Amino acid sequence: MVEKLMGLPRSRTVVHPGPFRPVRIDRMRDEKGRHFRLSLPGGRTLHESLVQALADEGVASASMTLLGGELAELGFCLALPDPTGRVLATYGAPHTVQGACFIFGNATLGSSTSGTPVVHCHGAFRTADGAVRGGHILTDRTVVGRRSVTAVVTALDSFELRVVYDDETRMPLMRPQARRVHG
Amino acid sequence: MAEVRMIESGRMGRVAYARIAPNEDLVLSVEKLCLAEGFGHAFVRGALGSLVDACLERVDGSCQVIRGPAAEIVSLAGEVRSQPDGSLRAALTGVVADTHGHLYGGPFVAGANAVCVTFEVTLEEWLPSPDN
Repeated sequence: MVEKLMGLPRSRTVVHPGPFRPVRIDRMRDEKGRHFRLSLPGGRTLHESLVQALADEGVASASMTLLGGELAELGFCLALPDPTGRVLATYGAPHTVQGACFIFGNATLGSSTSGTPVVHCHGAFRTADGAVRGGHILTDRTVVGRRSVTAVVTALDSFELRVVYDDETRMPLMRPQARRVHG
Repeated sequence: MAEVRMIESGRMGRVAYARIAPNEDLVLSVEKLCLAEGFGHAFVRGALGSLVDACLERVDGSCQVIRGPAAEIVSLAGEVRSQPDGSLRAALTGVVADTHGHLYGGPFVAGANAVCVTFEVTLEEWLPSPDN
């Protein structure tokens, strides 16, 4: 069968500054994810609410879908080409807007190498002037407003998500790892 | 008027999380991940990351290209289904932000969405009931 391609473009590849890492898909599996639905209250940051509520359930690694709500304050930044060339793309200066409607987003909870909780979040939102935008949400600078944000969480218990320095991209990136044995 | 048809009943099974490296194709990587984990069918969610350029299919079958580098995926959902010949096929739709934060949405074209820095994805295995 001949498929009509309709002029599909050919993908462009990029060259990162560091050495190519042979493993292209890092993956881990959980036999049964635990599921939670959280209501994130007004007056607190997304980061604080997510981290605390999940820590209370013994969750250190999770994949989350954030559903709509109101944001009293929203911090975000955009990915831009790095003018210094040290890395391929970097985050621009943080933007802050007051009073936004959160449309939806996805987030990952993991930890830094030192064990501090890290939330990586991308989302779409509508600002007070009606513009619809999206990007990297700074959850520690984003405060929920009067209408709470709902988070649907899949907890990953049998492995950890950890931010490790990635030689290829020269950036700290979330990666699944075997659980550290304590004690 | 046509009625809603129940296609399948079933339940969610295992959960897989992956980090996909630069220059790997978004759609094909999700299919490879399912093959590697032994998931016949899966629901794709919890995805975020960036693409070299995003390529979304328009209604007329042509493509809309959102130039990066680092067009950010702000939301993504989709599913992977086993085909009659045993191969897997992922159908993913989502919303991407360009380097100005403007949003675009649609189905991701397989083979035309290379990961830029990283792509994180969560797959929930879908187990159809045997009596479907």
